[in-house]
Amino acid sequence: MGKNGNKDLWRFREAKRVRNRDKFILLVLVIAAMASVLYFADWWFREKHINTLWFFILLSLFFWYGLVRLIFIWINYLHIRKPEPVEPGQCLSVAIFTTSSPGEPLEMFEKTLAACRDITYPHTTYLLDDTQDPRFREVAERYGAVWLELVGLPGAKAGKVNRALQLTHEEFILILDPDHIPFPNFLDHTLGFFRDEKVGFVQVSQAYYNQYRSFTAKGAAEQTYTFYGPTQMGLHGLGGAVAIGANCTFRRKALESIGGHGIGLAEDLITSIRLHAAGWKSVFNPVIVSRGLVPEDFGSFCKQQLKWSRGVFEVTFVEFPKLFWKLTGWQKLSYFMIGTYYLVGVTSLFFVLVPFLFFLTGILPASMSFVEFLINGSVVAILAVGIYLYVQRWLVHPSTERGLHWRGMVLKFASWPVFFLGFLLGVVNAEIPYIPTAKKAVSGYFTPFARPLIAQVLLFALAVVVIMIKRRYYIPESELILSAEKTWAMVGFALIACLMSLGGIIAAWLGKYIQVESPWDQVDLTTINTNKNG
Amino acid sequence: MAVILGLLIVIVIVFAGDQTRGPLENFFASVGTTVKKVEHHFILQKREKKRADKLTWFSAYRNNMDSLRNPSVILLGSYDNATTESFEPIINLEDSLHTTFPLIHLFTAWGSKTEEEFPQLQVETILELGSLPVITWEPWLVDFDEEAYPRLRPVNERDKGGLADIAKGNYDPYIIEWAGKAARIKKPLFLRVGHEMNDPYRYPWGPQNNSPRDFINAWRHIHQLFDSVGASNVIWIWSPHPAYGYFDAFYPGDEYVDWVGIPALNYGTVANWSQWWSFAEILGNNYNLLASFGKPVMITEFGSLAVGGNRPEWFVDALSGIAQRYPRVKSVVFFHFSSDNTTTQQTLNWYIIDDAATTQAIIQQISRWPDVLKP
Repeated sequence: MGKNGNKDLWRFREAKRVRNRDKFILLVLVIAAMASVLYFADWWFREKHINTLWFFILLSLFFWYGLVRLIFIWINYLHIRKPEPVEPGQCLSVAIFTTSSPGEPLEMFEKTLAACRDITYPHTTYLLDDTQDPRFREVAERYGAVWLELVGLPGAKAGKVNRALQLTHEEFILILDPDHIPFPNFLDHTLGFFRDEKVGFVQVSQAYYNQYRSFTAKGAAEQTYTFYGPTQMGLHGLGGAVAIGANCTFRRKALESIGGHGIGLAEDLITSIRLHAAGWKSVFNPVIVSRGLVPEDFGSFCKQQLKWSRGVFEVTFVEFPKLFWKLTGWQKLSYFMIGTYYLVGVTSLFFVLVPFLFFLTGILPASMSFVEFLINGSVVAILAVGIYLYVQRWLVHPSTERGLHWRGMVLKFASWPVFFLGFLLGVVNAEIPYIPTAKKAVSGYFTPFARPLIAQVLLFALAVVVIMIKRRYYIPESELILSAEKTWAMVGFALIACLMSLGGIIAAWLGKYIQVESPWDQVDLTTINTNKNG
Repeated sequence: MAVILGLLIVIVIVFAGDQTRGPLENFFASVGTTVKKVEHHFILQKREKKRADKLTWFSAYRNNMDSLRNPSVILLGSYDNATTESFEPIINLEDSLHTTFPLIHLFTAWGSKTEEEFPQLQVETILELGSLPVITWEPWLVDFDEEAYPRLRPVNERDKGGLADIAKGNYDPYIIEWAGKAARIKKPLFLRVGHEMNDPYRYPWGPQNNSPRDFINAWRHIHQLFDSVGASNVIWIWSPHPAYGYFDAFYPGDEYVDWVGIPALNYGTVANWSQWWSFAEILGNNYNLLASFGKPVMITEFGSLAVGGNRPEWFVDALSGIAQRYPRVKSVVFFHFSSDNTTTQQTLNWYIIDDAATTQAIIQQISRWPDVLKP
């Protein structure tokens, strides 16, 4: 791929408008999919499938956790809405906050701060700096930004943001991650929505410019395409678009009403849920008006995912119950769904372990025929893929974002150790230090996050060898045929999980050979095209 | 409108799925067969000791329906309750009796559950072991799924007149599927359907719910369905209970029956209705009545509990007399059930494997049979 795609990326994009005809077709697909789920449920929950009751219940819980989420996502899609553009009025006072931490590359700030300067709507840029490195001040001032030294504050960027709120007076604040290079028209696509006095924040899509650099980067980006398009558009339609880190413009009054930006590992989600609970409205505008970085190596990706999963569980266990009664019905549901996303680590671990439990003890979770499962499940699968592909018409940049996103799926599965760890840390309420996601690839070493995956693959290989030896020499002929189908079906099942994890290991291994580059060096701010149709 | 269209899509897909179900299932079935073939070729064939080698004498029978309908030797066999995962218990029993059973007996019920399908893997294993399967196929009607069989009456009303319903064809899809799988085995298979049909207390297919005519009609209907799918490899065992008589009334006819089966279980003194009965007392005069049908006789359940008498002696008495007193008996199938709670409140143990006196007695008696009855 190289950098071929790059030119195409530096152009303003917006999701297609939502026509009634599209929504009708979507509605038909969703109804079909729900009917197919009922059809499947009717097959699944049959008494004859129960082998060991507790195991069947566990299996059903883990499996239907996934299906119920899917149903919610479909319902969410039915509410897809794209806000009508609103021209911002004159003379709003606007601040842009971007933060720098020790270890972050100075050159990146040069690019970001230059891009901030180029934003056409009048504003003031502030660099919230705790590097204690004089060069940062120098760069900030060179690009017309106000340098604020904010050292020793709690939280990641939230502490600095809250302090900066006290030091500034602008009515609107865009919080920008430092790796995100804003387009000159950024504020033109967010400020207008604040004409509605009840709007507390405006979120735009998050897009990337380094996804072509590695398997991990591609996969990590693939995981986000649908979320920053159709999914958030649906949440917007349900009145609960969420603030997600970068690229969110807040109303000062809104932030002040909840005592400032939330602090925690998922501070954006905390802020988001508090604002909704306080009655503020939110807007999601599906436009690309900035591009940033996605982790390029598996280790950095896992660190980011660990931080998020731990942080999101914190919101689920602590924030969500507190604010539950202040949220609208749809908001309750969508925050619950977001908050339980990372349980996928627990369910994946379960599905990884099931075959090994069978190999060791002979216990099967259910007396289902694997073939029947595939045949009955295929209707749901076909329609689910159909819906997934259909809503891609509302991706913000379909030509680069469309697809089955198999890399994203592999990475998601291979993240089970990370998500599971995040879950455990959430349960025992353990702290993990805030680590900013690496901006450059971390190259030349094999990340420890791949170790559980290697263990899984080795365990699988060992199991296959033991099974073959046992079957060749030890299992009596009176037993061999009776156990053949079950055993090899389970080996096949374990093989699928093993291949997914192998994908993660390969991603980690490739990470050793990533050329460490500074992706921002390639970005030429003058080529950014903000024309709608250009 | 959208609802209608949506449902239409699902119906089309489900329908298309039903149409392609055949090929898909065939595909997976062929994967399964390939795995089994590979294991057969690379594992079972490579084994140094194969049980089938001990049954070389039986290969003359295995492929010859006529000699199986009229064997010259006595075919030994056994049932064991612990054979869902492995037939090792049967192997252990035969080892302790210094023999190798040409027949292995299983019980399976009718119905829609997975375990009520044709016992494919069990049958394949039995054949791989060099034996032939004897299947007691119990026409329980309560497990049939109402959706798949819309013509059926509510579950609690199915037993009354159940055999007439079978004869009417209400259960045909199940029977035909089962028969088709039996036919595809392509090796002889003993089938005992609706056993003890003259006992009004035990099973729902007894005379408390059905007339003898219903039984005969059902039997013939089932037989015809098997013929229609080409299951000519089935050997039919008609098996009344010796204590309840009326054999003639329940007999489906010479052309529908290959063997006559009789259970011979001594319950000893475990219940107030039972007492220590010898083998001769259990059979009583019934042997002559049943032998008069002119078919070979199989002792389908052969066993004695240990309570209330001398068990080794019971077996000595039974086996020593067989050749002279019961010349039509051409098969004896042990009933090896460690936890039988089907008849009494308590759990009965029919296992003899751990009773050395009994196994020794059996070994000795079998060795004394006339040579013509021994393989």
